[in-house]
Amino acid sequence: MMIVVGGLKFGAIYSLAALGIVVIYKATRIVNFAQGAFVLAGAYATYGIVEASHFGYWPAYVLVPIATGLLAAAVELGMLRPIRQADMFALITSTIFIGIGLSEVYRLVQNTEMLGVRNPLPGPPIFIGDVIITKEQIWVFVGAIMSALIGVAIFGYAPIGRGLRAMAANPRGAALCGYSNDGMNAMAWFLGGALAGLAGIFAAPSKGISPELAISMITAGFVAAVIGGIDSLRGALFGGLILGVAETLAAAYVSSAMKNAVSFLLLFLVLLWRPEGLFPEAKIRDV
Amino acid sequence: MSSGRIRAITGALAPSAVLLAIAILGLFFDTYWQYVFAISITAAVIGSALAMLVGYARCITIATGAMLAIGAYGATIPVVHGSMPFLAAVVTATLLGACAGWMLAVPGVRFRSHNLALITLVFQAVVIIVLRESKTLTGGAEGMHVPPPLILGISFAKDADFLLLCGALYALAIIPMTVLLAGAFGKNLRALASNENAARAFGIDVRHHLIAAFTFSSALIAFAGAVSAPRFRIIDPDSYGIFTSIFTLAYPIIGGMGSIWGGLAGGGILRVIPELLRPLADYIELIFCVLVVATLTFFPDGLASAFWMGTGRRSDAKSGASFATPEIELAPIAELFAATEALGPGAPAQAGGAPILAVEGASKSYGALRAVDDVSLTVAPCSLHGLMGPNGAGKTTLFNIVSGFLAADAGNVRMSGALLDQVRLESRIGLGMTRTFQHAAVFERLSCLDNVIIGLGRNTIARGLVRSVGQAFANADSRSERRAAQSALAAVGLGARTDDLAGALPLGEQRRLEIARAIVSRPRIILLDEPVSGVSVEEARRLRELLLAINGELGIAMVVIEHNIAFLSSLCQWISVMSQGRILAEGDAATIIADPRVRHAYFGEQEVAA
Repeated sequence: MMIVVGGLKFGAIYSLAALGIVVIYKATRIVNFAQGAFVLAGAYATYGIVEASHFGYWPAYVLVPIATGLLAAAVELGMLRPIRQADMFALITSTIFIGIGLSEVYRLVQNTEMLGVRNPLPGPPIFIGDVIITKEQIWVFVGAIMSALIGVAIFGYAPIGRGLRAMAANPRGAALCGYSNDGMNAMAWFLGGALAGLAGIFAAPSKGISPELAISMITAGFVAAVIGGIDSLRGALFGGLILGVAETLAAAYVSSAMKNAVSFLLLFLVLLWRPEGLFPEAKIRDV
Repeated sequence: MSSGRIRAITGALAPSAVLLAIAILGLFFDTYWQYVFAISITAAVIGSALAMLVGYARCITIATGAMLAIGAYGATIPVVHGSMPFLAAVVTATLLGACAGWMLAVPGVRFRSHNLALITLVFQAVVIIVLRESKTLTGGAEGMHVPPPLILGISFAKDADFLLLCGALYALAIIPMTVLLAGAFGKNLRALASNENAARAFGIDVRHHLIAAFTFSSALIAFAGAVSAPRFRIIDPDSYGIFTSIFTLAYPIIGGMGSIWGGLAGGGILRVIPELLRPLADYIELIFCVLVVATLTFFPDGLASAFWMGTGRRSDAKSGASFATPEIELAPIAELFAATEALGPGAPAQAGGAPILAVEGASKSYGALRAVDDVSLTVAPCSLHGLMGPNGAGKTTLFNIVSGFLAADAGNVRMSGALLDQVRLESRIGLGMTRTFQHAAVFERLSCLDNVIIGLGRNTIARGLVRSVGQAFANADSRSERRAAQSALAAVGLGARTDDLAGALPLGEQRRLEIARAIVSRPRIILLDEPVSGVSVEEARRLRELLLAINGELGIAMVVIEHNIAFLSSLCQWISVMSQGRILAEGDAATIIADPRVRHAYFGEQEVAA
């Protein structure tokens, strides 16, 4: 049970990362492999605010998502807009190399083994029966899920979200209705980047900050998104939680080397038996 | 030997010659540079293997590191633990790589783009985990000592000897890759990467081709891993990690996606840059990333191709030449008949008898929408049959059922009486059925000639491989193919466009190229989906003349979907009108145009005064 709680914490972080991928994918049809680097950027910004500048956590929750959102929007406008007409191959490879490039920039700027950020909510753990739950676990889980739900709400209900969904359905139609595609693309990337930034804040204390974080978050985020259904916001949420719990269970009961293997096994099974994901949003037809 | 044959064979051996030349050139440098040359030609070979998978098939693979590791460990373990001779171990490792590629591809190629990238990423991670955990066999994370290659008692421990050995082995191993990429197999890969549906309609089985591409490419990568392993003295799992995979992906992208040279140059040059730019070693990965993104943005065909184009630019003087002739030259259609004779008999054109095409009670629903609702349609042999109807009437869905892209929910399709339900889409061209597409679906990155050669439909894997080898020797069969394709191009008035890229043609000419591709196999029936949509009135008139001539001289039946009623009524003897998934009316052009139900379907409630 304790393990499951720990797994839910990581799962909620994965959900956030996955949600960012799904939001960007739904609105712009770009599969963003740079998402891991945005999480890393968010974690590093958190370090800057909390540890280097001693501002504490509250400013971080506000500033970090904005910063990573702007970073993501800048990547979209500066690097991807010129090739938006290119095929999937070019777009995906671009995001892969943009992600690696951003991680490299981080490594060059901050050439240390690993940066740590302090626990946002220290304090004695809570006992529920035999189960020990730290306050940090509760905070991260609740905070990450709340952020994810806010993200879903913005995409699903806010006026901005209507534009994003319109563009997802039909870019030209949305443009005719007065939504600027450039603006909407940038907005989708801003939202996706902001979600990644939040994932970064929540991940920083327990996972540490290093280029490894980008790799592990992109892998986990993607596996979660695909398990849930890359087109499904709900799927990203559940996919992340399932993955987090499965990973921690495997690490606890089998071996830590099995941790990665389990996520891959999950991905493999889902792709083989249910390629549209566990929680598909809608049936898509392709002729 | 004819000059064509000499040229073909020289082309097939040129990459090997260059690799060998670089190896020999390295002998004039010191041992450090001999080491650099050895890893550079290794990277060149990896680049050429990725040219197939990444450049031609446009699959994103992040498993290159794993394949190298499989090669390196697959050769070293038998040498160390089983005292197998070096060359035998290299062959074993290559086969192991081929198996690994096949195993990865069978589940993997059901997906494209991001899912395929993910699956290869999974494969990469799992291979490294397994190598790290199997400590008794591989030495785990500490790595494993690799003895210098020993062949017939001769040890290749010195850098110079090793470089020569690499050069010789790579020169041999790369020949099959060159032959496949330059030949039919490579063309088919590029065709399916550029337009999957059109490729399938002409008999290219996408799954088989991608699995084969993964297998060949992985075998060569494993080979490179096996041959290069001794140079590192010690191999460990982490030097074959995910970053290796990602940065090797850059080789064909930066080098160029359109030929084996791009991969060779990309690998060979990029791998040396870190050695040349020692002071910038820290920034090298970042430089790579910037280069890749910049290349994808500004030179989608790769830096090498951009350079190539810059030095030897082909003249565009020919463009527009075919517009100069107001009438299409029809005479060569008879030549087409003669030229395709060498490739075996075409489908015999017989008038009368069983209908060439019979659709019986076909239905297809998408959710609640019945796109095609109990449609029956009969097409007489050698006839021109029109199919019209308002948008959303189900015409294209019906075409997709007939050509095999969609399985009907109910009903069946017969061709000359034979049931087609069990015949796969890719096999239907063999029965004499071809089609064109609503949105001109030419293979943009291939020349017009290659487009039409694919139209011959000899595109099963086995046949593609055999034909590739034949083309490397410019054998009689491959020359006949070229002649047939040439005459088909001449027949549609594109004789002067043979070597131009299909994507560079104006729309009207792309439509004609589609027709050339559809007739070159001398089918018995062609399905034409909106052949004149988006072309000028003049061009439409010329296309009509062309279609009439093809029908008249070759006796090929045609079913034509078209909104342009004037075009359709002047082309077809018989017209079927569809509306809301059903056949509304059938008859000759005059009857159809006068039919009040048709007017109702097109113009709504109000009767329009004629």
